[in-house]
Amino acid sequence: MDFIPHDDKTISKMLNIIGIQSLDDLFQDIPKDLLINKLNLAEGLSEPDLIKHLENLASKNRVFSNSFLGAGCYYHYIPSIIDFIISRSEFYTSYTPYQAEASQGYLQAIYEYQTIISRLTGMDIANASMYDGSTALAEAAIMASMITGKRAIVLLEGIHPEYIEVVKTYCKGQGIHYNIVKEDKLLDEINHDTAALLFQSPNFFGDIEDSEGLIKSVKSIYPECLIVQVMTDPTSLGILKPPGSTDIDIFVAEGQSLGINPSFGGPGLGIFTAKQKYLRKMPGRLVGKTKEIKGEKQGFILTLQAREQHIRREKASSNICTNQALCSLSALIYLLSLGKNGLQEIAKQNVQKAHYVKTQLQAIPGYEILNKKPTYNEFLVKCPNIEALIDNCKYKDLLPPLQVSKYYSNMENIVLICITEMNSKKAITEFIEAARMAANDKKEGKC
Amino acid sequence: MLMDLNVTLIFEKGNERPQKNFIPKMDLDKVEINKILPENLLRKELNIPDVPEVEIIRHYIGLSNRNYGVDSGIYPLGSCTMKYNPKVNEIAARMPKFSKIHPLQDECQGSFELLYNLSKILGEITGMDGFTLQPAAGAHGELTGLLIIKKFFETQKMEKSKIIVPDSAHGTNPASAKMAGFSIIELQSNEKGEVPLDQLEFAMKEGDVAGIMLTNPNTLGVFDSQIKEITHVVHENGGLCYYDGANLNPILAICRPKDMGFDIVHLNLHKTFSTPHGGGGPGSGPVGVTKDLIQFLPEPCIISTENGFICQKSTDRSIGRIKAFWGNFGVIVRAYSYVIALGEEGLRRVGQMAVLNANYLRVLLQDKYNLPYNRLCKHEFVLSDQGLPNNITTEDIAKRILDFGIYAPTVYFPLIINGAMMIEPTETESKTSLDRFVEIMLKIYDEIKECPEIIKSAPHNTFVGRLDAVGAARKPILKE
Repeated sequence: MDFIPHDDKTISKMLNIIGIQSLDDLFQDIPKDLLINKLNLAEGLSEPDLIKHLENLASKNRVFSNSFLGAGCYYHYIPSIIDFIISRSEFYTSYTPYQAEASQGYLQAIYEYQTIISRLTGMDIANASMYDGSTALAEAAIMASMITGKRAIVLLEGIHPEYIEVVKTYCKGQGIHYNIVKEDKLLDEINHDTAALLFQSPNFFGDIEDSEGLIKSVKSIYPECLIVQVMTDPTSLGILKPPGSTDIDIFVAEGQSLGINPSFGGPGLGIFTAKQKYLRKMPGRLVGKTKEIKGEKQGFILTLQAREQHIRREKASSNICTNQALCSLSALIYLLSLGKNGLQEIAKQNVQKAHYVKTQLQAIPGYEILNKKPTYNEFLVKCPNIEALIDNCKYKDLLPPLQVSKYYSNMENIVLICITEMNSKKAITEFIEAARMAANDKKEGKC
Repeated sequence: MLMDLNVTLIFEKGNERPQKNFIPKMDLDKVEINKILPENLLRKELNIPDVPEVEIIRHYIGLSNRNYGVDSGIYPLGSCTMKYNPKVNEIAARMPKFSKIHPLQDECQGSFELLYNLSKILGEITGMDGFTLQPAAGAHGELTGLLIIKKFFETQKMEKSKIIVPDSAHGTNPASAKMAGFSIIELQSNEKGEVPLDQLEFAMKEGDVAGIMLTNPNTLGVFDSQIKEITHVVHENGGLCYYDGANLNPILAICRPKDMGFDIVHLNLHKTFSTPHGGGGPGSGPVGVTKDLIQFLPEPCIISTENGFICQKSTDRSIGRIKAFWGNFGVIVRAYSYVIALGEEGLRRVGQMAVLNANYLRVLLQDKYNLPYNRLCKHEFVLSDQGLPNNITTEDIAKRILDFGIYAPTVYFPLIINGAMMIEPTETESKTSLDRFVEIMLKIYDEIKECPEIIKSAPHNTFVGRLDAVGAARKPILKE
């Protein structure tokens, strides 16, 4: 199939007007030896055949009835209205709203997104989005270096391991020095040349960090050191104290939890917020409220573009151009659909259900909860027989929790369990049963 | 159409009734939160409105009515390739066995196979030997490619700190080069809109130059006739050649970046491969490289084995990870669906029709508007406001175009043309649509001569009149 509207007659007419004989003549400016005759690709498919092909591919993936896996990508309920709204052609087939007068709808939506993210996080300003949580964190590190003029950052252990890798890649490009430290060694590693401390809370292992204590211990000695927090599941902000209520300088998050499908890890949403005073160093697009030049009507427009690559080129604050606009629209609709009450309730359920699973697991001999700090919806568990647990989960059609040794080879027999509002009592009971049987070295279907 | 002209923010539509529609029943014994979490971790207030579902729907349907997309009409933005986004791709990306898959789960051979297949197809289209699908956008792909160049020279124990970027390049090129730690040498295009070979050679010989970033056809829509000589000069002087694939559309299945002599390319799946722009994203910016550079690609990569597809640990020569997980998979599914549907013949037709449409418009507009580089173009061409009567500017024309119910071209880019209007119709516009665009442009030309005031004060028919950009930037209001 193709999406070409012209028939042959139309094509000849157009060639005629251009003043050439054939379609080949359109390419006469390309050196002859560069022209190719054939690509080694299959013949095209009609829509029904294409669907068959795709369904066949998709059938090689497995969707489980319930999930105990998180680790940076979460299954929360996605209200039906989100897909209806983001499927409006006027939104999803539009370009970046450069012509403001023909893009008021999207511009206003982004303005509302900036507002709601600012309210959720308590931070002064939010941009229109970054690619994802990991790249938002990396850009935050670079921004901190630009603000302070210092060339070193410190990462607190407990940041998502893939995020750490991304930060490293970005820092290497810029020649920024980085160091990953344990909490008890933190003050040994920070010094007057440190641009920023980066930490995650709730962290990769589920711990909710004592942000205020952390900030105080650093800023009391190194007041110029910026503090950057990252979060992978911002539904937690339904009940947790927002970063803006502390002295956090830059707060970033992965927004996939907010109404976006897992989709094998992307597209997600990079949430990026900061204190007002850093506005002009911030990467990414911003929408501002303004008025007509000759009228009184209020309107919205891309603003402070002098920070951006299409104006400033190599002097820009970042190279980012395309962002995750449609995903930010999803997050906006998500937060509005749930509202204040819903967000609080969802966050509570995450905490309560996770607490229930913790208590149940702890009661089974051989299981040990490893978190020493309070947790939100994820926690670390040492297992007596991790292989059996994973197999039993799959047998019961439950997506098993993460084996932490995937990232930390020294953390054997440990799983990172994620419980959300989507885990029903029935699924949780089955999971506990799977764990109990694994402790007795029993495998489902084999006993 | 009927439309409420009142601008109300969603925050004004909340009420006191708590929303409960999306909260599953709590079917476990509840323990009070303050028994689980210490009080000092909990938030005191949350200033998010409770808005009834119907109000949310009406609000955003209302906003969508104040927006324009490819499905509304022609979207002639140069260098943006705003082609039709096939609806079947949306169905594909929403198949639960794609959209509900966790990036860290087992039993995801379907996802792996799709990623693997698309890498191979993009390799065939560009001639490149290896691909990563991880970068989330074009600029992200550029950064990836430049970090590969940097790593390549590091492993050769060579210090190369500069990148050549022609003045016609996209703004992301120099910005990405800076992010990868390079400084920029800007090269002025010659009178044909091409890279001047002698100056290129001079710059390369200065030493310390890692290579060149080029887009071909370039932002003037010009295919550089000396492209092979250019890449040859760069290679002869020890540099690498980077291909910005933003403009690949017109040469699909016609010629290939690798054959032109490029070592690294990035593609924009949200341009050439029909995935929707989404109002600015999400996109996807795969990066392809020649054989010798595969070892530097970001991790992870997927390989095919007897036992199926597996994720391979990369070498310590890899530039590292560029994004969490596997890239913008949902976007990648749409692009895969597109290339599989089109096949070889369909792709060639895309290239041919994109060039046919652009030249058709060029020829019909060249008599009235200034066309600084008037020659056979590829996907786009650039008009200028120079010489128009009554001090009419490109900005004025762009705003007036909106009055006719269609979107305006890219304006004031490329920077090498004063008052540029960059027009790229793409292959999916019908002759009727192109003729209407010409009719509008010619009508505006008449207005420029006869009633310039109507143009200077445009737009008149849009939801708001021309907005105050200067005031917005002087005193930014970024939230309620």
